[in-house]
Amino acid sequence: MSDKLQDIINKQHNQINPDEENIDDIVQLVGFIIGEEEFSVPILSIQEIIKPIEWTRVPRTPGYVLGVFNLRGTVIPLIDLRLKFGLPSEKMTENSRFMVMKNDTETAGFVIDRLTEAIRLKKHEIGPAPETAMQEKTMIEGVGKQNDKILTILKVDKLLERDF
Amino acid sequence: MDEFQEILQDFLIESFELIEQLDQDLVELENSPEDLELLNRIFRVAHTVKGASSFLNFDVLTHLTHHMEDVLNKARHGELLLDANIMDVVLESIDLMKALLTTIRDTSKDEGIEVEACVVRLSAITNGDAPVDVPVPEAAAPVVEAPVVEEVEDELDYENMSEDDVEAEIERLLNERQASDKAKRDAKIAAGEAVPQMPDAEESPAEESKAEEPAAAAPPPPPVSPAPVAKTTAEPKVEKKASPAPVATTVEQTIRVDVKRLDHLMNLIGELVLGKNRLIKINDDVEERYEGEEFLEELNQVVSIVSLVTTDLQIAVMKTRMLPIGKVFNKFPRMIRDLSRELGKKIELEISGEETELDKSIVEEIGDPLVHIIRNSCDHGVEDIEARLASGKSETGIIGLKAYNEGNHIVIQITDDGAGMDPDRLKMIALDKGVISEKEADIMGDKEAFGLIFRPGFSTAAQVTNVSGRGVGMDVVKTNIEKLNGIIDIESELTKGTVMKLKIPLTLAIIQALLVGVQEEYYAIPLASVLETVRINKDEIYTVENRSVMRLRDEVLSLVHIADMFEVDRIFDASEHAYVVVLGLAETKIGLIVDTLVGQEEIVIKSMGEYLHGMEGIAGATIRGDGGVTLIVDVAALMQMAKTVKSTVTNESGNSAGGSRVKTQPSDYKVMIIDDSKTDRKIMSLALKPLGITLIEATDGVEALNILKSGEHNFDALLIDIEMPRMDGYTLASEIKKYNKYKNLPLIAVTSRTGKADRMRGVESGMVEYITKPYSPDYLQNVVKRNIKFAFSEESAS
Repeated sequence: MSDKLQDIINKQHNQINPDEENIDDIVQLVGFIIGEEEFSVPILSIQEIIKPIEWTRVPRTPGYVLGVFNLRGTVIPLIDLRLKFGLPSEKMTENSRFMVMKNDTETAGFVIDRLTEAIRLKKHEIGPAPETAMQEKTMIEGVGKQNDKILTILKVDKLLERDF
Repeated sequence: MDEFQEILQDFLIESFELIEQLDQDLVELENSPEDLELLNRIFRVAHTVKGASSFLNFDVLTHLTHHMEDVLNKARHGELLLDANIMDVVLESIDLMKALLTTIRDTSKDEGIEVEACVVRLSAITNGDAPVDVPVPEAAAPVVEAPVVEEVEDELDYENMSEDDVEAEIERLLNERQASDKAKRDAKIAAGEAVPQMPDAEESPAEESKAEEPAAAAPPPPPVSPAPVAKTTAEPKVEKKASPAPVATTVEQTIRVDVKRLDHLMNLIGELVLGKNRLIKINDDVEERYEGEEFLEELNQVVSIVSLVTTDLQIAVMKTRMLPIGKVFNKFPRMIRDLSRELGKKIELEISGEETELDKSIVEEIGDPLVHIIRNSCDHGVEDIEARLASGKSETGIIGLKAYNEGNHIVIQITDDGAGMDPDRLKMIALDKGVISEKEADIMGDKEAFGLIFRPGFSTAAQVTNVSGRGVGMDVVKTNIEKLNGIIDIESELTKGTVMKLKIPLTLAIIQALLVGVQEEYYAIPLASVLETVRINKDEIYTVENRSVMRLRDEVLSLVHIADMFEVDRIFDASEHAYVVVLGLAETKIGLIVDTLVGQEEIVIKSMGEYLHGMEGIAGATIRGDGGVTLIVDVAALMQMAKTVKSTVTNESGNSAGGSRVKTQPSDYKVMIIDDSKTDRKIMSLALKPLGITLIEATDGVEALNILKSGEHNFDALLIDIEMPRMDGYTLASEIKKYNKYKNLPLIAVTSRTGKADRMRGVESGMVEYITKPYSPDYLQNVVKRNIKFAFSEESAS
């Protein structure tokens, strides 16, 4: 009886954690589109994703800082990633979202054109950021290879850093 | 160790509380040195501090307070008359005591402060300077002191004593004390002391023997070590109870609460207030939509109850953070005393309204400014004794310090009956020191001139003294009051004196704000900084030295447009009127032009996070009833910005189209050429090219209007053809003139229509010049130059 039970428990256990041994090697990301390109950030740095709501302009800020918005009683800065990445501004569409990201000290909302999907990548599938002249300033954490496409993983800390 | 820390904390809290009262008592004492009740109170402070500090092993502090106690004790027993010189030493020693306590608070050690000099002086008073007329032999003095001294010192040693020794010591002390008391009584009776001294003689032994009781009772229990704890702490309390003077205020039931908890509570209330605002807004919406429905009644009731309770709750929590301003006022009698001795003037301080309550954070900030203002009043306000007598005043100058509530504000009023301020002299000095320009001085009213004293680097003192003259203090006043969103109002009359009023909001977390609109944006201005709002006609705006100003009653008020401050795109408004919000902060005033006044609302200041922290001109954000975010204007920063931001108010006022923009080179001038014929445009451009001005071309009225509306360019003049497709020149001109902003923009018709009727129509539609084709290039140039007030010669242009 107890053997049987043990068997079942073991079975269930295996079902729940089929690849328990390499869970640490998996990186979970959320992909989104800005302009033509797909970017992603680690899922754990995302607090929530909401549909666009009304925001208030803050004067004397760079263009990519759209302003601030009210997220259930907290005032949060809103940053347009299109403008931040040097793309022309575009009207928000049905698919636009505010992606609220946070790190230890800061929370901010980012306007993205469209969400794609949640992505699981093995660590060895992620390569380093391409060598550029501005290694210090780069917002790219790494580049993920996935089937036939390439996925840019962004540095959340860098996105949340005030650079003006 | 924790226990020790706890005791230390209690000790510090108690000591600081005692000291606060001490300063005032001491100054009072100097005026009525015979006041036994006061003396006793002061003595007890020294005694309590000494007792506790010796227990906590603060040797330096004990040493100092011990000698203080000696002097005070003598005075208390009528053996010493506290004159000003002795008071100086006593006050000095109290300062040292404060310094020591502060050091202990910060470092838990009483090191690093030199007290020996003071101690020597104190003991000199106890030993040598005993007045001759006191019949007690000098030798008796130490005897009187001895028991008190030894008592405390011995307490420390009890731990090392055997029980027998302790018993013996107590026996000895008791005898000594009784003997000395007896001797003292005898001496006093023998000297035929005045009657008021009698109760002292009687009460002293009673008090002391009572104090002795716990001391005697404590040693017997076998475990010797804990005993001293009980004793030392018990002793001062017994003395307090035994004191014949009823403690000035009845002891209130209190709990000490960590300020952080109160802050947290305040934050929660803030959230609640926002929720309430939202609820009220929703209630209004629902009321509109479901008018007449039954449930509305109920909803209304609930909403009003919630809103009422929230308001009460907010007030209640605010009250928990309130402290009487007396806490700040208490230190001033002492300061005035010191200052008047230093300056050789006679000054009296009259305090009233010290029970007025203020938020804790404000009480902490208000101390420094008051110190500077009062120093200033003493030094510059109140005159020398001779000068006062000469002008028929009494030789004692009076400085009044008064606090009272006024609406949501507290007003602190500092008055002096001194010389008063001379606005013309202030202006002269400011001019000399380069603080203001001559033109500024000319338009400056009296109040503004008084405000000069707050400028950094401004001082009327010919010499820098210990007290003032560096031109720093009043600047500090201004900065601190600004930080509190306060307002400074000065009234002064020559030879009569000066009245300075500080108006400070009661609390900082939840504030009343005026909501203003500009184009489609809203901003909240702290109501505390809003003096008034006025509606003016745009012709009432003048330009002085490239600044827009208006006349407000008898004052000249400089103006800025909120759109210039906050980079709001100005799409035209045709309104003839402007709303001016008169902002006052500290002593400065400014008029802020806004498009609309929305109303008053209770707002809670929220941070915008690190990312947007410290944006210029924005103090924070708040969430409105409809859930939207509204930015709160930082009035102090706004006033700073107003000095540098290029103003376009005058463009709008149309005083002169180019007036507010500084033209440094010919290309700063902009002229638009509106003609449907490419050739005609070319001819005009070529004719004007030698001037070097910037030319913009448009092909018809509609395009011209759009360029104008985009606000990209600020034109100094328009050259308009009459015959054009889509919109002709007349229509364009009358369209443009609909906008107040362009009322004075010169419109020049360039046309081949030469009829008189055409000219008339041109004038009617607002054209100022009428050039008929063909024309010579020189003629066109001259007309344009005249109309744009071209300030460069052609040579320099080409």
